[in-house]
Amino acid sequence: MQSTHAIKVENLVKHFGKGDALVEVIDGADFHIDKGELVALIAPSGAGKTTLLMMIGCVEEPTSGKIWLGDEPVYDDKWLTKEQRKIRREKIGFIFQAPYLIPFLNIIENVTLVPQTNGVPKEKAEEEAMALLKYFDIAEKAREMPALLSGGQNQRAAIARALANKPQIILADEPTAALDITRSVNVVKMLKKIAVDQDVAVIMVTHDEAMLPLCDRILKIEDKKVVSQPVPENTKMI
Amino acid sequence: MINLAQKDIAHTLGKFIVTSMGVGMLLGIVLIMIGVYRGMIIDAKVLLDDLNIDMWVVQENTLGPFAEASRIHEDMRNTIKVIQGVDKAEGLTFQNLQLPSKEGEVRVFAVGFDPFGKIDPINPKRLIQGRGLQRSHYEMVVTDKTGFHLGDQVPIGRDVYSVVGITHGTVSSGGDPLVYVSLKDAQELQFLYSNARTRNDRARGIKALNSHMINAVVATVKKGYNVNRVAEDIRQWKHKSVYTATQEKTLLTKNLIKMASKQIGMFTVILVVVSTIIIALIIYTMTLEKIKEISIMKLIGLPNRMIVKMIMQETLLMGILAFVFANLFAHLIYSKFPKRVVLEMPDAWILFLVVILASILASFVGVRKVIHADPASAIGG
Repeated sequence: MQSTHAIKVENLVKHFGKGDALVEVIDGADFHIDKGELVALIAPSGAGKTTLLMMIGCVEEPTSGKIWLGDEPVYDDKWLTKEQRKIRREKIGFIFQAPYLIPFLNIIENVTLVPQTNGVPKEKAEEEAMALLKYFDIAEKAREMPALLSGGQNQRAAIARALANKPQIILADEPTAALDITRSVNVVKMLKKIAVDQDVAVIMVTHDEAMLPLCDRILKIEDKKVVSQPVPENTKMI
Repeated sequence: MINLAQKDIAHTLGKFIVTSMGVGMLLGIVLIMIGVYRGMIIDAKVLLDDLNIDMWVVQENTLGPFAEASRIHEDMRNTIKVIQGVDKAEGLTFQNLQLPSKEGEVRVFAVGFDPFGKIDPINPKRLIQGRGLQRSHYEMVVTDKTGFHLGDQVPIGRDVYSVVGITHGTVSSGGDPLVYVSLKDAQELQFLYSNARTRNDRARGIKALNSHMINAVVATVKKGYNVNRVAEDIRQWKHKSVYTATQEKTLLTKNLIKMASKQIGMFTVILVVVSTIIIALIIYTMTLEKIKEISIMKLIGLPNRMIVKMIMQETLLMGILAFVFANLFAHLIYSKFPKRVVLEMPDAWILFLVVILASILASFVGVRKVIHADPASAIGG
């Protein structure tokens, strides 16, 4: 029977440095995130949000612990495969603070880059990309260069790129940091819709408490541990 | 599959082309330098080829008449003529002159020969106007690069010479334009002292010097005779140094212009190294400009080989474009150089291979940057 957990983490530890210079960032994190869930990851600056995101994203190697992406164990005190980049390419979508589209590729090329690298034929990749661009209401901009699009259109194109490889997980690093409240709410609502529609788990790093009511759950880093919290009742109504 | 290099170049096409043109001009100078060397080799052989003789007889123990000074008596040609196996023999003189012209002084290399002799250094194929020398005095044939015209009166020493013929492409081994004068005139110019000097010499008890000197005797060998055997006879019995046509060519090409070719070789190597460094710096800068995108590409899972391929394709294309511009540039300007520049296809192909090799080497700095780019730096702004 398949697990509904998109991400599962057990006793995850991350230290930087050695001896007197040892810094413990995460010390025994245990949590899971299910498909269809939008989870906010919150913590004070420097508490390890990005480090945790990078460990889940197979970018930063943990010190110890276990990580599963879907049913596949990817880390068990060491990487279980040498091809973390392949895992990222096939299972994970990334959304950043800024769109960070490749400036010399047009929108549809940006969206189809990873699927084509995964071996999807160009025509099929473009067909699927167009469907995503239609979903985000920027299909008419498919052949435009990113420099010619507005910030909001680029951000939607970046989200389309994150979904193009049909990921199990989306890691969003402060996607609303540079946006005003209205646009921020729109982006988070869009992420929630994606989580449900595409059946993916979304982890969103945020400092913006106003976005928390739109999430399903909160993961908070406290004293080097990761604590799962429900969205506070008093903010649910915001 | 999307070709990243093609997309990136198309995005900054103008900048890429202008950069390639800049490198191309530098490589064009490399081609010109090689062309100058080739020109020197050809220049060194012009006079020898036009003479079309078998032997050079010069002063004993010298490498004359071009690599070292050589003086022998004019009547040596008669002595050589009667040696068994010798067909024709004539005396020649060689000297540098500065001729006055409307544009200022013109440095030339004068060849003195007997206009009525059997060996004429003026190649009829190179004579483009007028005629050869037909008198013993005061006529001269000049090469077109001197700027003189038919009928010009040119004062040299105590006399005035008429330009009776114009040649094309005749230069000395040093690249100076050739002029041809009669042997008698040349001997006066080279060996006859002024009256004051003659009086001074007499007062010192020095007898009048013989001006019937020449710098070399050139000779051809009859059919059926071995040129080396005849040369050996002259060495042994006439106490002269003798060089066959091949040996004289070697003296000119390998010895006389050895230093010049080393100099040019050094410049060429330095220019190629500088071009490689410039290409490497350009690629490094181009990679640095894209480092955020490269980190993102690595983060979203693009394999290194795709990104490395982009850098290498861009570097190679820049090298190839620079090579094309180098050829265009070199062919556009080579005729403007005062000395002969010869652009040859084999040299261009060798440069092409060097450019490809240099581009591959240059791309390593960009590739290294790609390999060390941290995908984590894409996260966190």
